[in-house]
Amino acid sequence: MPEPILTVKNITKTYPGVVALDNVSLSFERGEVHALLGENGAGKSTLIKVISGAIEPDGGQIIFNGEVHRKMTPALARENGVAVIYQEFSLVESLSVAQNVFLGEKGGALVNIKDLKKRAAHIFNEMKVKIDPSAKVLHLSPAQKQLVEIAKAISRNARLLIMDEPSAPLSASEVETMFAIIAQLKSKGVTIIYISHRIEELFRISDRVTVMRDGRYIDTLVTGRTDRRELINLMVGRELKEFYPKRTGLPGEVVLEVKHLSGLGDRDISFSVRQGEILGVAGLVGSGRTELASIIYGVRPKERGETWIDGKKREIHSPGQAIEYGIGLIPEDRKQQGCILNASVHFNISLSTFNQNAKFFVINEKSQKKAAAYYVEKFDIKTPSLEQRVRNLSGGNQQKVILAKTLAANTDILIFDEPTRGIDVGSKQEIYNLMVDLVNQGKTILMISSDMEELLGMADRLIVLCEGRFMGELPKEKFDQRTVIELASGHRD
Amino acid sequence: MKKINLRGLQKYAVMFILVILMVLFSFSSPYFLTVRNLTNILTQNTYFIILAIGLSFVMIGGGIDLSVGWQMSLVGVVTAMCMTLYQLPVWLSIGIGLLVGTFLGFFNGMIVANIRVFPLIVTIATSTVFQGVSYIISKAQTYRQYPDEFLFIAKGQIIGAPFDLLLTIVIVLVATFIYARTSYGWNVLAMGGNEEAARLAGIKTKAIKVSVYTVCGFFTAIATLVMIAKSNTTNASFGPGSEFTALTAAIVGGISFMGGEGNMLGLVTGVLILAVLGNGMQLAGWGTYAQYIVKGIILLGAVTFDEFQKNARITKNRKAPNEPAHAEPKAE
Repeated sequence: MPEPILTVKNITKTYPGVVALDNVSLSFERGEVHALLGENGAGKSTLIKVISGAIEPDGGQIIFNGEVHRKMTPALARENGVAVIYQEFSLVESLSVAQNVFLGEKGGALVNIKDLKKRAAHIFNEMKVKIDPSAKVLHLSPAQKQLVEIAKAISRNARLLIMDEPSAPLSASEVETMFAIIAQLKSKGVTIIYISHRIEELFRISDRVTVMRDGRYIDTLVTGRTDRRELINLMVGRELKEFYPKRTGLPGEVVLEVKHLSGLGDRDISFSVRQGEILGVAGLVGSGRTELASIIYGVRPKERGETWIDGKKREIHSPGQAIEYGIGLIPEDRKQQGCILNASVHFNISLSTFNQNAKFFVINEKSQKKAAAYYVEKFDIKTPSLEQRVRNLSGGNQQKVILAKTLAANTDILIFDEPTRGIDVGSKQEIYNLMVDLVNQGKTILMISSDMEELLGMADRLIVLCEGRFMGELPKEKFDQRTVIELASGHRD
Repeated sequence: MKKINLRGLQKYAVMFILVILMVLFSFSSPYFLTVRNLTNILTQNTYFIILAIGLSFVMIGGGIDLSVGWQMSLVGVVTAMCMTLYQLPVWLSIGIGLLVGTFLGFFNGMIVANIRVFPLIVTIATSTVFQGVSYIISKAQTYRQYPDEFLFIAKGQIIGAPFDLLLTIVIVLVATFIYARTSYGWNVLAMGGNEEAARLAGIKTKAIKVSVYTVCGFFTAIATLVMIAKSNTTNASFGPGSEFTALTAAIVGGISFMGGEGNMLGLVTGVLILAVLGNGMQLAGWGTYAQYIVKGIILLGAVTFDEFQKNARITKNRKAPNEPAHAEPKAE
């Protein structure tokens, strides 16, 4: 067996009070796709940072191509052929694709743009993708940007490519393209470290899976000889029982109905939701699901169509109005849209109720804190105090704070946009339980999700969108992954 | 909002700096640490405190207003002309002055809220407009010798305390109350903390944005009245330059350049630090020009510290000991 491209030995990294990596040892073989699996906080990202030289470990060895290092530096990592594609792309948006691909390349004082374009085109040809090297990165889709990142890695002759949640921004067909490129790279002997929350993907492309938990190395398995259940159990360290909790009660009256809604690229969309129901909204990235939520919630103006709430036609021009009519939004991007990271748990939970909670502008902080404490207890939000900054909470707990904020404003119709994106398996379960509790208590949920399995597991009914058009509606009996994907990619029976 | 963090420490840090400066200057000049000099420092700077508080509304809301200096110029000449040239009653002149200032702030707010351009650029542009208007209206003349009722603002006393000092204290208390206890103050904090999240939470961010500039204009007008009452003379060149003092003081005092937080006591301390520096350097025989250099360096230093602190806070959060290992997104 040839020597591994990279071995880490007894790597430890501590932050005061937290052990981010605890004596982690593992090897990466040449030309393998090696998946890293673990919940948030398991230490995957810290390990990557150690390998790429972004941080210095407290102890241990990093052995690259047989050479022993105590720590990496970004320059040293690059010399050893390490390239990392982070979730947030590191591209210069205002420059062209070709310029980005060769950014930072050492050369003469003068840049030969023609030559850059030619070489970039060559790389894209080899990757079998179509991207115009002279286009500005600004105008690219997330999927295309990722391809540019990969091209960048190829141009640097990367031998070890690390991909952090690469499929997150991609649609199903784009994921296929990415898998094909990964297979190509692999056949050329490039090692790929693949991090993803989507376990199904790992079975598609990885050769081996390493599971981490709480900063510790748990096990490395050959992907072909394990299954989803085993991986999840290793990840969470306990048996996960029922994923999608049982429902009680039947749906009631129609509480929300939209008729012929158009705007932001959505065309003529009509559907209705009953009280106590979870209506799933399926579709690929870019199918207009988030846009639909934006229009209903009054974030952006509609072009045409009507919204009926509890049998009355309502004009909603702002989120404030939507809340007044009892609609709440749990937005897609928790950190940018859902909460104020630097403010306290209490401030965030009260966010929608400052005005309601004030008499002549003076806030009744006591009643506000009582409400916040109630939700912290009810949702089991793990925080040392109400004064803790939301920035310091885990993704799952941040999501609970956002949900508490929405409910504190007395909303009954809740739009969840990607409620579990980037949330670890254990917390996902909690969010599912909360959602089901809510509908059991008579709330109504509109659930947008790219995670097909969760959508099929949670929803009572599904509507499917494709490129802003309404493709169809499926009752629970007809739930089937293939049907949904067909509809979502624009094929009607 | 109580927050246990570096900002809290900073409140004491800036006070500590103030004390150190005072000790240092007391060595360099025997005159520095006299009651008379200290009272002077305080009363000469009341209008800077009021101005900085006005500006703090904009800054805590996540914006910036560089036009307050020329707002002062315009409000000053209008008020002075009302009293001297047109012989209007003092109360009416004051009312007109406050109205003009409030309108100028509203004007800024409407532009910033409705066209999505950096407020920095918008207010540099409007400040040039205000400059032109101020010179045209005043015909580049100086207006002096105001009625005694007006001069009461600067020279009057109520139970032995200077009127403008009392006015400043009241304004500081009101502003403190607004941020600590009112829905309006919390809305401003929320907008400064994350405008998009605030808007999606149903807060009318556009209206709040217009309002903070308007409030800023109103306080700027009050500051202007105090300023011209003190000098008993004004022309279009009175006011410009103050925006940098107020801005520096606000940042030194812990109002984040990025919005979302700040406390009024820190702000007052910030103004006093600059004032003590100016006064001390004057007494030590440094010229006015040297003071510009020092002020500029302090502004740079404070902004750097603000930025550093933002990063440090994130690192520090990692180290929070009593968190469950679960709540550890940053170590990942």
